[in-house]
Amino acid sequence: MKRKILVNVVGVLLAFLLGAVVMLVQGYNPLETYYRLFEYSLAPGKIAYTLSKSVPLVLTGMSASVAFASGPINLGQPGQLLMGALLATIGGLYIDLPPLLMIPFLLMLAMLGGALWSGVAALLKYWFNMSEFITTLMLNMIADFFTYWAINYPFFEANANHPQTPFIARSGWMPEWGNFNSSVIVMVLAFAVIWFIVNRSTAGYEWRLSGQNSLFSRLGGVNISKNYLVVMLLTGALAGLAGGLVVMAGPHRFIKDIGGNYAWDGVMIAMVANSGIILTLVFGFFFSVLQTGSLGMELITAVPKELIQVLQAVIVLIVVAGRGYFETFFAKLEARRKMRERIA
Amino acid sequence: MNIIIGLINGMITSATPILLAALGGSLTYYAGIFNIAMEGMMLGGAFFGMLGSYYFHSWPIGILFAILGAILMALIFILFAVVLKMDEFITGIGLNLFSVGATTYMLRQIFKVKGAFSSPEIVPIPKIDIPWIKDIPVVGEIISGQNLIVYLTLLATIAVSYLVFKTRFGLRLRAAGYNRTSLDTSGVSANRIRVWSLILCGVLTGLAGSFLSLGYVTLFSEGMSAGRGWISLAAVILVSGNPTGIALISLLFGFTDGLGLFMQRSLPSQFTSMVPYVATLIALFVYSVRLKKKQTI
Repeated sequence: MKRKILVNVVGVLLAFLLGAVVMLVQGYNPLETYYRLFEYSLAPGKIAYTLSKSVPLVLTGMSASVAFASGPINLGQPGQLLMGALLATIGGLYIDLPPLLMIPFLLMLAMLGGALWSGVAALLKYWFNMSEFITTLMLNMIADFFTYWAINYPFFEANANHPQTPFIARSGWMPEWGNFNSSVIVMVLAFAVIWFIVNRSTAGYEWRLSGQNSLFSRLGGVNISKNYLVVMLLTGALAGLAGGLVVMAGPHRFIKDIGGNYAWDGVMIAMVANSGIILTLVFGFFFSVLQTGSLGMELITAVPKELIQVLQAVIVLIVVAGRGYFETFFAKLEARRKMRERIA
Repeated sequence: MNIIIGLINGMITSATPILLAALGGSLTYYAGIFNIAMEGMMLGGAFFGMLGSYYFHSWPIGILFAILGAILMALIFILFAVVLKMDEFITGIGLNLFSVGATTYMLRQIFKVKGAFSSPEIVPIPKIDIPWIKDIPVVGEIISGQNLIVYLTLLATIAVSYLVFKTRFGLRLRAAGYNRTSLDTSGVSANRIRVWSLILCGVLTGLAGSFLSLGYVTLFSEGMSAGRGWISLAAVILVSGNPTGIALISLLFGFTDGLGLFMQRSLPSQFTSMVPYVATLIALFVYSVRLKKKQTI
């Protein structure tokens, strides 16, 4: 356990070191830049905002984590997020309920949207054995264009300069207290549910087993194709939920590029977290710290915030490579120790 | 008649980058590497190609830079996937996102713009008029007057096909994918073959990238590879790496792309833009149905 934490921390530090070298080459002061980065996102008044911004990252991250750990290579989070956001927006445009009913209703719609989209890929695999790895990627592009069409034509806000929908009903806005958005509560609930399913339920046990050795679990009596469908639908719903919350907590309408880079960041988070649920939460928050802080960094030190995008990818590559490298390194040490014991 | 010529030329234009990247993917496919980084390599190539052409006012240097840029991305892939033995899938995804981030950052840092950079000082890759042939009606308009990269792509298809099936390197390449242990025991390092296949993949994806940023438009925009690397990956999987098959599939994808543009008269452009991706899905569908039939026989 300690070793795992060490590997992650060392990997992140190495990536930061590399980032510092890049900054030095370009004549920036890395220490000040990093200080501003963390100051902007972790200062007492800011941390609630950073936490709120981590919601889509953690949710898409969990979607990818659960999928990767259970076998399906669901890379469709970007599309599922958009479809979830679209469905929640449509619900919010045409239906108005008291907030206590409205918010859960829209969240359900968002999850339904995401699950529908991942369901398409799941059924293509189930019926025709088409690899979800490519189909989800293609469905991402299709969802991208489809939602863009939806906000351009059927749900277009008249008189707007940009393609966007009108505001959703006020009752569907996630309540906000200062910088703290209540979408964080939904995220924590989703995290608890997913953690429980994966770690404490029979289904989760079967998923993890199938993820590690599909043949073994099939021979052990696990219904592989049913689990596959359930995992795809669940992970799609998680990504859809992220999309719904982005709309309900943020601009309260579907605007162009609303999905941003959340979903791909989520995939990276799942990879760097080695598909662990708790680590996904940690890294999701950490990535949010980087992204929120990057705004402050750009404001004060003139280092473009795009640098953070590079830094994230470098963190993923170094931490994952380091994990494998350290594991063989420690295994070698162990073997050498045993050898010595035997000789002595 | 003009419509048909337009459709065919559109097909060639949109097939070219996909075909080039897929040929690169074919080499790594035979070497047994699950290479999904074509998207990132192509994007890197597109950026550096634009950079070279802009600073040196010369398209050959642009192409050279594009190839070097894509090779740089390939080297990062080699470092992580071959040297450090990291999972190829994770390396590929990481590299693709690194490429998006790095090109966006450099665009901002070097040219001080967000989104896209275009300048009259970027020299495009020229079109080639073939004497005699260009005067033939219809055929001349298709065979002659294409971009230089288009002809290079044709050569590359033949060259890759020859390389894989007729040379010693090709034999070793296929052996590296088929059974790397036996290749290692026969005294040829499978890793070295894999490294070379990735570098060649970099050359081809670099050419593809230069076509994107210096071919028909002279600009670079964020994420301008727009899923072409993924489509080329689908093409490679569909024909199990065979270069001739890849050429046909790429032309098919190119055709649907051109068709999409053509349909813009009657459909919103968002739907016509979906066409290549839907076509990929349909192609995968046909492939898996045929595979199923084969297995039941």
